[in-house]
Amino acid sequence: MKKLILHLILLFAAVSFIYPFLWMASASLKPVAEATSMNLLSSNFTFHNYIAVFKKIPIGRALLNSTIVAGATTASVIFFSSLVGYALAKLKFTGRETLFMIVLFTMMIPGQLTLIPLYTLIVKLGWVDSYPGLIVPWMISGMGILIFRQTFVSIPGDLMEAARIEGAGELQILTKIFWPLSKPAMVTVGIITFMGTWNEVLWPMMIIREQTMMTMPQMITMFAVGGQAGGDLGIQMAASMFLVIPLVIAYVFFQKYFIEGIASSGIKG
Amino acid sequence: MCRIYMTIGKEKNENIGYAFISPYIIFLLAFTAYPLVFSFYLIFHRWDLLTSPAFVGLDNFIFLLHDTQFWQALLNTLVFLLIHIPLQIFFSIIIAMVLAEKIFARTFFRAAFFLPVIISGAVVTILWQKLYATDTGIFNHLLSLIGISPVGWLTSTKIAMPAIAIMATWKNMGFYIILFLGGLLSIPGHLYEVSRIEGASRWQDFWRITLPLLRPTMLLVVVLSTFGAFSLFIEPYVMTGGGPLDKTMSVVLYMYKHAFLFQHMGYAATIGFALAIVILMVVLVQKKYLGKETEY
Amino acid sequence: MLSNLFTIFLLFSACNCQAVELLYWSSSNTEEIKLAKILVNEWNELHPDIHVKVQPIPATGSSEEILLSAIMSKTTPDICSNILPAIMGKFIESKAVVCLDRFKDSEKVIVDRTGTKLTDKFRSNNGKLCQIPWKSNPVMLAYNTEIFKSLKLKPPKTYSEFINVAKSINSDEDGNGILDHWAMKVSIKTVWYQRLFDFYPFYVAATGGKTLLEGDKAIFNNDGAIAAMKFFADGFKNRYFPMLGFSRDTFVDGKTAMSMVGPWIIEYYKRLNPNLKFDFAPIPVPDNHKGPVYTYGDPKNMVIFSTTKHPDEAWKFIKFLISKKADLKLLELTSQIPTRAHIADDAYFKSFFKKNPLLKKAARQADFVVPMDDSPHLIQILDIISRQFEAAAIYRVISPEKSMKMAAENVQNIYDYW
Repeated sequence: MKKLILHLILLFAAVSFIYPFLWMASASLKPVAEATSMNLLSSNFTFHNYIAVFKKIPIGRALLNSTIVAGATTASVIFFSSLVGYALAKLKFTGRETLFMIVLFTMMIPGQLTLIPLYTLIVKLGWVDSYPGLIVPWMISGMGILIFRQTFVSIPGDLMEAARIEGAGELQILTKIFWPLSKPAMVTVGIITFMGTWNEVLWPMMIIREQTMMTMPQMITMFAVGGQAGGDLGIQMAASMFLVIPLVIAYVFFQKYFIEGIASSGIKG
Repeated sequence: MCRIYMTIGKEKNENIGYAFISPYIIFLLAFTAYPLVFSFYLIFHRWDLLTSPAFVGLDNFIFLLHDTQFWQALLNTLVFLLIHIPLQIFFSIIIAMVLAEKIFARTFFRAAFFLPVIISGAVVTILWQKLYATDTGIFNHLLSLIGISPVGWLTSTKIAMPAIAIMATWKNMGFYIILFLGGLLSIPGHLYEVSRIEGASRWQDFWRITLPLLRPTMLLVVVLSTFGAFSLFIEPYVMTGGGPLDKTMSVVLYMYKHAFLFQHMGYAATIGFALAIVILMVVLVQKKYLGKETEY
Repeated sequence: MLSNLFTIFLLFSACNCQAVELLYWSSSNTEEIKLAKILVNEWNELHPDIHVKVQPIPATGSSEEILLSAIMSKTTPDICSNILPAIMGKFIESKAVVCLDRFKDSEKVIVDRTGTKLTDKFRSNNGKLCQIPWKSNPVMLAYNTEIFKSLKLKPPKTYSEFINVAKSINSDEDGNGILDHWAMKVSIKTVWYQRLFDFYPFYVAATGGKTLLEGDKAIFNNDGAIAAMKFFADGFKNRYFPMLGFSRDTFVDGKTAMSMVGPWIIEYYKRLNPNLKFDFAPIPVPDNHKGPVYTYGDPKNMVIFSTTKHPDEAWKFIKFLISKKADLKLLELTSQIPTRAHIADDAYFKSFFKKNPLLKKAARQADFVVPMDDSPHLIQILDIISRQFEAAAIYRVISPEKSMKMAAENVQNIYDYW
């Protein structure tokens, strides 16, 4: 009996978390007249809103941009952060401890402090409306370095020594031995970076004006708030679905990694 | 022989070490150190990015001290936190405790609660704006079913900020549930057994064992929520534009307004600077008061 | 991996360097996008050597904020047709726009179309013309003729007439204690430009055509401003204006009987609710008002940005956009008034105005309009007014007198400080 009540409470709570998204999906498929109704089902489902989105904004281009930006940032963060993490964990050089302190220090700097100067820097570099502007300032992350360092420290040195004697270079050791051994760390860093970049809206809003350079969140905010959607709820929801669907698909497949990865990196606000 | 090998190895190691960190050093200089230094330049200047910067001494700070909108924005952040943190902790702990029991379809429930966490804040905000709409929104529809007249969720000076705080709680709860779940599962089971033998009730268990041992997690929740509150932007930007009567104006939105609406780069940098100091102070204070007595 | 991506990026950004290419930003509403696309297609067919690409202004907030940040980062398009003349001071100060004296025929082309008197309104301080007058949308009172007929009402001319009319329109049909019909739609958004379409036209009407500034002096703390602010405060207090955050336009749905709008809504409403019947009337004025009723003209002009590599081609394209033929399309597709001298009497447009009496009314009102002051602090000034409007009218936490006094002080402070 107690179990049943617990399940009912849980079910109610879960519904309140899922229902808004189902409503969104449903509203995106409904004709204008029904869009605001609370019912999830309708006999008049149509793809009209999706077609309208394609006609009104270059959403395909935005999807491509988001994929490029999030993909390149993620690849770069994994590569460069693991490089630094490896150096901090396994290589000996003067100033190593200092560098580690610096990494920790950068993680404590609130982003709000450097946002405006960073923007003026991008303007000076002429990187407004460009992929470098969207990607380069986020190519390495302190959090990534930290996660990789902690993971690499616990990998025994024997493996390294053996490889060195066989004549392997350090880069090879990192990519051939350390990477395969630290897949969970790579997945964690990868998911957090990809999700963060994919969903980021403030930075693109600051540096992108050219419609063909916009990423999805900016495009959709512009579309829904800036008036191009003409106040039509269904179309706004359809546009939002384009942003949500790829991530939800990834989430369904890598749910465990998503949850554990994000939770384990609680440090990142 | 052996010695020579060692020294060569070490020297090589040293060079490779520098090679490995050199991209990071360049990155650090360009995108962390330079903006940091340049922000110190900006806060003493007035600059619209169009004409050349003018040195104004401490004018930006003096203006900030008298800027009621800035202080209102800070106050709003406090209001947000006072609603958000208790709600967040209360509901997250309850759900985490239920999930910690042997529950049917636990993975499904966990995934469901976590769903809003992965969705873009922009989408969540656009979606909730529709749910909060006075005429066609779901909340007012539900209220009308029990005979309550429509509420101006985002237009009432008293309700707008709580409405945003509720939305943020909903969006982030999955994340905190997982944190609390981890905290709960790490509590050694024998503590409860001993307590049971001593004849304590479940309620007493909760207050004497569970809650104190969850303290580190709670500190994390408070700190992370605080960071989140200080970076609120897209929520008021989309939903209210900072109104009504500046009651939902966030500090970052206010900074954005000065930078991009009024072209006050120096002043915007000053707002960012002041905010960074406030954040560091608040986090230090939280650590000091909540960090105590964590060992039990 | 990264280098590959940058190659992709370079491929995308590479231009077709054979023909001249111009980027043209149009306004982002559906009707104007349609007009821009039709005109640009026509142009591209006629001029294969000068290819124009049209894109709606990528605005998340207002177009002015996007244009200013584009200027800051030197990413302005070649041409933009959604320029608020009041922002020109800032544009000229930062050398962001091409002044037209570099084109030999510019004076003649523009004066021929717009007339000397009107053209002079858009000259900058040094007498130069740096913008191309294009169109306006005089803000008027739209009223739902069916509601007015059924209640046997006439459009209100003064504030007290408005109150009488409002009292009979406000109603609670289903008797649940909540109003479902209100007199007039007034936006409760506090974004800075919103006040150009409610408080400012009422201010202009009540003061007989005054603007907010005289040089660097705020002159708007006057009886007209206070009367207008009181009008809005009373309206919100007595619930003549709905205070709810509606997701749809209440005037289109017939929930409010009046709205403050420019003629652009004729086409817009046709799309949203083709059955809506409405007419225009001048803006209500204080009871003791004498003389003609002025309003805000909501002018929008074109500029050529100085980032362009092809100013001459851009000017050529603009001449096409302001030709008589294009102006007729502007009227037909967007129901906005071209900034042409005596357009209502022009033979070329006669048959159009005959078929569209509503637009003729708007075109007549266009003779009695004032613009907004050109100030480098324009957005900040309107932001201040908007916030005082919120405090004094929408939420009524301060009196109209105090709000205008504070607004004038704050505006003066801006001039002193920034």
